[in-house]
Amino acid sequence: MSRNTSSWASEAAAVFAKEWRCEFRTRYALNTLALFAFTTLVVVSFSLGPMGVARSQGTAVLPVLLWIILLFSVAAGLPRAFVQEEETHTATALRLAATPSALFCGKLLYGLTLVLALEALVTPAYLIMTSLEVTSPWLLAGVLAAGGYGLAAGSTLVAAMIAQARSKGALFSVLSFPVLLPLLVLTVELTRGAASGDPAGVSLPVLLLYDASVTVAGLMLFPVVWNP
Amino acid sequence: MKTFLAWLLWLWMCLVIVGAFFYAPVVLQGFRTPGSSRIVFFHVPMAWSSFIGFIAAAVWSILYLVRRNPRHDRAAAVAIKIGLLFGILATVTGAMWARIEWGAWWNWDPRQTSILAVILFYGAYLALRQSVEEPEKRARLAAAYALLGLVVTPFLFWVVPRITFSLHPDPVVNRSGKVDMDAANTQVLFGSGFGFAALFFWVQNLQCRLEALAERRAALKE
Repeated sequence: MSRNTSSWASEAAAVFAKEWRCEFRTRYALNTLALFAFTTLVVVSFSLGPMGVARSQGTAVLPVLLWIILLFSVAAGLPRAFVQEEETHTATALRLAATPSALFCGKLLYGLTLVLALEALVTPAYLIMTSLEVTSPWLLAGVLAAGGYGLAAGSTLVAAMIAQARSKGALFSVLSFPVLLPLLVLTVELTRGAASGDPAGVSLPVLLLYDASVTVAGLMLFPVVWNP
Repeated sequence: MKTFLAWLLWLWMCLVIVGAFFYAPVVLQGFRTPGSSRIVFFHVPMAWSSFIGFIAAAVWSILYLVRRNPRHDRAAAVAIKIGLLFGILATVTGAMWARIEWGAWWNWDPRQTSILAVILFYGAYLALRQSVEEPEKRARLAAAYALLGLVVTPFLFWVVPRITFSLHPDPVVNRSGKVDMDAANTQVLFGSGFGFAALFFWVQNLQCRLEALAERRAALKE
């Protein structure tokens, strides 16, 4: 059993390492994500005007915009992880090389590191540009981590689906947004709580529960999606 | 036998309509226009049957993934189509009632928010089906997506009411598990609920047979 577990973990680690090695060859996802996020950030901040949003409204409005920027950046960069496998016809080799659940975890880990890097880049810049004050930074960090994980987990499963369909780009948004909607409702509410200092209507454990449910669903459904 | 059942259903629905307007005393407490509360006999059963449809679709999706029988895939897809139709009807009737009672068609009441998200989700399900040509692959992906929805959408129903306040009347079968209505109202409501559920499965069955025939015809032509 322990041998099986370790070979499963090494398969997942190998997929994760392979993703990043491929990524560093072209830096496609990194560049797309970073540039897309930064451009949107500039557009949002510029449109709010030099005075920004009034402080009283800031805690209500600004968290929404932050999560919209993150959501659309993820939609721009993450589906690539699976679409590329189909386009370069490496999917079959991958099917032979790794068990589906290990593959899912490797891809999920890659997506997670990408989203966390994106958040580390975007969030400070966003807070500076919109001068949104955060009362409880630790809660914000927790929401970003748990929310980022949810974004990565939901997107990974949906990306595996759309890679096998036609019209991949548009379909990803159509399929992933309803799945990520509960996550966004939660993260926006929690970010508001972190900014204003008032306890939010929901708590962080609910967000973690969403993450756990999507992970379990992903592990169970991914073999069906992946294997013909 | 089938024709007999269809006629029985027709008779049943006629009774429900007559009951809703002439038998049930209605008058739910605290309504601006008490007469408008008769909508409960149609709006609520529609919402129920739409959810029965989505749950049935999930069961057929699981059956498909276990047995790989195209019949189950067709049943799931049709159940979602009809469930979506019932869901849209419930939303539209709800909006009409909201205009009369609350003064606005749409005000992001938690119920409106959740049902809209559910409609979006199953709309996406149909979009996914349309963009995969190969029947086996389409069935597989669609079943997985339908089951993902079953995991994700309950969060909305739990979370949204905790964030925004609601004007929506209490659920008929409320948290304490009791029905806060008098007997005649309850009879008509549950009678209507049963009628709508039967209507759902009858239409679903008809549509499944129709699509099966269309597929056979297409196969014969080739």
